[in-house]
Formats: sequence, structure tokens, C-alpha cells
Amino acid sequence: MSEPATKPLSPEILSALGAIVGEERVLTDAESAARYGADWTRVHSPAPAAVVLPGSVEEVQELVRLAARQGLAVVPSGGRTGLSGGAVACRGELVLALDRMNAIDDFNPVERTVRCGAGVVTEQLQQFAEERELFYPVDFASAGSSQIGGNISTNAGGIKVIRHGMTRDWVAGLKLVTGTGELLDLNRGLVKNNAGYDLRQLVIGAEGTLGVVVEATMRLARPPKDPAVLVLGVPDMASIMDVLAAYQGRMDLQAFEFFSELALQKVVEHQGLQRPFDTPAAYYALLEFEQVSDADMEQAMALFEHCVEQGWVLDGVISQSVAQALSLWRLREDISETISRWTPYKNDISTTVSKVPAFLAEVESVVNGAYPDFEIVWFGHIGDGNVHLNVLKPDALPMAEFQQRCGEVSRWVFEIVQRYGGSVSAEHGVGLLKKDYLLYSRSALEVDLMRQIKRAFDPEGIMNPGKIFD
Amino acid sequence: MKVLVAVKRVVDYNVKVRAKGDGSDVDLNNVKMAINPFCEIAVEEAVRLKEAGVATEVIAVSVGEKACQEQIRTALALGADRGIQVETEGSVEPLVVAKLLKGVVEKEQPQLVILGKQSIDGDNNQTGQMLGALTNMAQGTFASEVKIDGETVNVTREVDGGLQTVQLKLPAIVTTDLRLNEPRYASLPNIMKAKKKQLDVYSPADLGVEVKSHLSQLKVEPPAERQAGIKVEDVDQLVDKLKNEAKVI
Repeated sequence: MSEPATKPLSPEILSALGAIVGEERVLTDAESAARYGADWTRVHSPAPAAVVLPGSVEEVQELVRLAARQGLAVVPSGGRTGLSGGAVACRGELVLALDRMNAIDDFNPVERTVRCGAGVVTEQLQQFAEERELFYPVDFASAGSSQIGGNISTNAGGIKVIRHGMTRDWVAGLKLVTGTGELLDLNRGLVKNNAGYDLRQLVIGAEGTLGVVVEATMRLARPPKDPAVLVLGVPDMASIMDVLAAYQGRMDLQAFEFFSELALQKVVEHQGLQRPFDTPAAYYALLEFEQVSDADMEQAMALFEHCVEQGWVLDGVISQSVAQALSLWRLREDISETISRWTPYKNDISTTVSKVPAFLAEVESVVNGAYPDFEIVWFGHIGDGNVHLNVLKPDALPMAEFQQRCGEVSRWVFEIVQRYGGSVSAEHGVGLLKKDYLLYSRSALEVDLMRQIKRAFDPEGIMNPGKIFD
Repeated sequence: MKVLVAVKRVVDYNVKVRAKGDGSDVDLNNVKMAINPFCEIAVEEAVRLKEAGVATEVIAVSVGEKACQEQIRTALALGADRGIQVETEGSVEPLVVAKLLKGVVEKEQPQLVILGKQSIDGDNNQTGQMLGALTNMAQGTFASEVKIDGETVNVTREVDGGLQTVQLKLPAIVTTDLRLNEPRYASLPNIMKAKKKQLDVYSPADLGVEVKSHLSQLKVEPPAERQAGIKVEDVDQLVDKLKNEAKVI
């Protein structure tokens, strides 16, 4: 694949873009470039050639055709809350931001599906569902900014995966503009469709390298009944897994999250939240379950007693109101935002759930050995085998040196991931930040097949080039 | 010192309430219920007094149907020592609640009664004051700070434009405002212990009170629906609309 153009756009191209979307929707000012060229990572300096804001599928098609003719790299852009640099434009690309394509329509109460433009904000869909006494279950801290198109392109996961799966499980159909500007209408809302390859699933999680997701039909669920939130203090990592096994054996959990004492300290200090209890603990587990009947609460209490008797749990609280449930969730959900001021080096790693204790013990010993002077914040979804390792940058240490030191240790961590058959990116995608490590969890043959698939969708190599692999 | 604290079962603060189809009342079917937030603050204050060694016993009392025992158990889990339910049917007016609480006060002889300043369902803000009148006890309402000092209590009140501190002779009544404290979470071990704590049930007759209704609710209706907003293209259009449509400039 040839390297796409990175030079400033010629006046002819700019006016051709303007002819498609309207002049005022072609942005080349520095502020827009900085805003639309970056995601939540701060590793690369944003440097897009221009930003365009199409308002329809046809406009997206025309833009992509123009880009293909001109050999212009295109970065599809949603809420840009990604953590792997998948939506970063740092090489003079054309950013195609889908913000304006934010219509929600064609709600079907029988199918429990609704059609969303790619630019619909996740929270907007959640509210739409709530107003109809339904529920969109994919939820994460950035739901107020992230967009459906981006969620699909990154197969966003979040805090309810243990019960409801990832974004992949809620896409009933989607429309994709390929790298040649053609429109694919994939799966059309069907529940059963075994007529050939499921290209829809191929597009989900492709990080915009196969084309631009312009529209999706999303499934909705029934809302959870009276969810209760438990926060438990746990003495060590192994006990967290025992607690998980005990609860999962008897209850359908909505969520099982964990965070470390340092994560709790940071959140309590910076968000003005209340500690759940004073008993000190090394780790905390947050569980959510539905209270369909009183039996659920009794079961949760009985399991708590059992876990205390076994020495797996030191103390715990349970929400007595919705407000308390929300406050307890904030202890977990506010971590990412709280620690962002230390520009943390993030790892989003996973293995199969049963291997997690041994896996974590090894990662922890490597990390503690390598970063004796760094603050390490652990949190994650653990119930689905996914943990987030965050190394905070000491204020005095220059960024470049910090990244170099973290990079070295990353290799050791990823070697452990590889030995455990895990993933170097559980839910954040590969983007720019993880592509050097892709071979730790994918075979060379797999990556080669990925390249061939990309070529089939995007023969000119203009769709988000340099992301996932070079 | 014995402290009596009143708790009420109300619709959870975060629940969007709906009117019943026939407009007769709020629809409480399958709605999440919780302890009234102001009452939760009252319980927390009482428990803190006990932890500080000022109070010797904290009694949580609730007036309502059997289900309100759930909120009494919550108060017990937060640290109250025992509970009292005065069992009533349907909705009860503040005056009746105050009379029933007076009955409990006479039985228990607390030095301090702490109540929420109002409940988030009825929004009446009457029970504490009525109880003060009925028992002839001093009252410090809308408390943001409570300090016991021997035979008196200093209550800092949130009033318009500032704070006012009043000194009351014990026994006294305090109603709580939002900033008095931040209630703790109910710990699981304490929830289990709370199940074994004493909870007495009285009828209004036990307290010599006749439950009477002086009000009848005519209608409950949702607020008028707001029209959806629009997005303007530019400043000129905004100014034009403010001038010619909204006529505010």
C-alpha cells in the first residue's frame, strides 16, 4: 500500500470538499484541527489537513470517493474518547466527523430496535431507550461523549459486559461506506441470517480501517429491575476471584468490577466522594445485581457472610437508594477521568477468566519490580477477564522518558499476556498505541489475513491507514 | 441521653414519578422506595451523637404501612439501636404523624427528637413544627449544625441570607437541612445485625390517637410538557428570534 498524501490540501481539493458538504463545514483552523485530530490519548500531536462534517450517507460516499481519487487518507471520527489513538489524525489526514449524522428514528417496539446515525451519542441512545421503558446496556464512563459509530468501530465494552456483552451483541444491522465509496447494508436487522459471511461482525471493531460506519440498527433490552450495588473490601487479588466465583455461582451479576486502594484514594480525594467504609483493604470489588424479588437480596447477603467466613472479604456496603448506587458506581467510573491528569500509561489486557489470578500475579510482580518509584493504579472489569493497568507519570519526569520506560516494561507485560493466550487490547482497540504489540496476541497469518481483508474493502488504502497495523 | 429519630418511606429521590392514568394519585406500582433523604441525615446525626458518647440510645420511628419496616431496618443498619413502627393505612397527614410521634415521645421520653425538615413526597415541612407545638418542646428547624452542651443544644439554622444559631433547652426538637452531614453507607455486617434488633409495632389506638383525614386529594397531574428547543444557525438568527419571536430584547 502506498503512503497516502500528508501535505496540506490544495485549494482545488478544499473547494471540492466544500462543494460536497458546504464550505462552512470544511474546517482547517488550528483549533478545529486540535479538537478533531485527537482522542483521549495525548501521545501524538493532532495534525489533520482538514475536518469535514458531512450530513448524509450520500455526502460521506462522495467524500470517500474524492479521497480515493486523490489518495487522501481519511480518519472517521466519532466522540474521540478512544484510548488507543484509533481516531487520532496526526499525519495530514482528512478527518470525517460524523457529529451531524445524529438522528434516532425508525423505533420498532416489536423488534426492540432503533435506527441510529453514526453520530448519535451513546447517552442519547440510552435516554431514548429509557423514555420507552427499555434499556441500552452498553455503558461506560465516556457514554456522554462517545458516539454509536465509534462504539461500533471499536466494539466498545464497558461496565456491563459480564451480563450484556460488548457493542457487537447489540448491532442488528449497519451501513458501511467502503474505501471505494460504495454503500453496504449489512444484516438489515435480521436475528437469523446464515446466508454467507457475516460482514457486519467484521466491520465491528475494525477501527475505521474497512470504511466509515454511517448508520446502525441497534437492539434494546428490557431495563434491569431495581439494581443494587455492593462494594466489598478484599485483602488480595486471589480473593477477588473467589468472590467472583462465589457470586457468579448463585446469581446473575450485572457487573463485577474491581479497583485498587490507590485508585479509591485518588477518586475520593479528587471527586469529593465518600469512602464506602473505613476498614482498609488492598482491593475493592463492585458488584451489581437485579432485585427481582427479596430472595435476591437474601442470596447476596448469604454470599457475603460466606465470603467473610472464608476470609475473602473484609467489609462491605450495599446501596439503599438509587442515589447511593450512583455514588458507589462513581468510585469506579470516575477513576479514568481522575487519573488522566497524571497522563497515565495505560494497558488494557485480558485473558480467560479462570487464568486471571495467576496472570495478574505475574503481571503484578513484573510491574512492581520495574516501577518501584511509580504509582500504579489497577482497575477493571475482571468479571470478563479484563484489567486496566495504569502507570501514573510522576510530575517531575519528562513525558518522553516516562514513555520510554513504560514501553520497555510493556514488552515484558505483553510476553506474559502471550504466554497466557491473552489479548494486548481487551476493549480499547489497537489504534496507533498498540500496533507494535499486535503480534503478541495475533499470529502473523492472522494479521496477514487482516491486511488482505482491508485491501478487499479499501483497495486504495485510504481508510484510517496506519491504525491496527502498518 | 435518649434520641428519637423519625424516618419516612418515600419514592426514591432518583425515580421519575408518574401520575396514575386517572389522575387520582402518583403511581407507586413497582416504584423503588427509599428512606427520605432528610430523614437519612437525621439518622446519621443521631448515630454520630451516639458515637461521640453524647447519646446513649437511638430509637428510629416510622409511621406507615408494614413496608416502612424496611426503612426502619435501614436506620438500624446505620446505627440506631431499636425501632418502632406505628402502623397506619394509606397516606397520613402531618398533623396525625405529629400526634402519633407525640405518643411515642410520651412513652420513650427522649431528650432529643431529630426529624427531616420535610419529606420529598409531601413536601409539607410541618411535622417537626407541629410536634414542637403538641409537646411544648423547643424546636430548632433547618439545622446545618447541632451541638449538645449539657442541658442545652445549639442549633445552627440555614436562613435566608446566612446562618442563625439558636440555643434550645433540652428536651428539644431538631429538623435537619441538607448540609448537616453526609450520611454513611449501610455496611453489610450492620445490615445483618440490624435484622436482630428490636422492632416494636404500635397501633394509633395504642398511642391514644384517632387517625383523621382533613384533606382530600383532588387531582395529580404531570407538569406541562415543554416544547422541544431548536438550534439556530448563527448569531444573527439568534438575535432575530430573540427580538421577533421571543420578544425579549
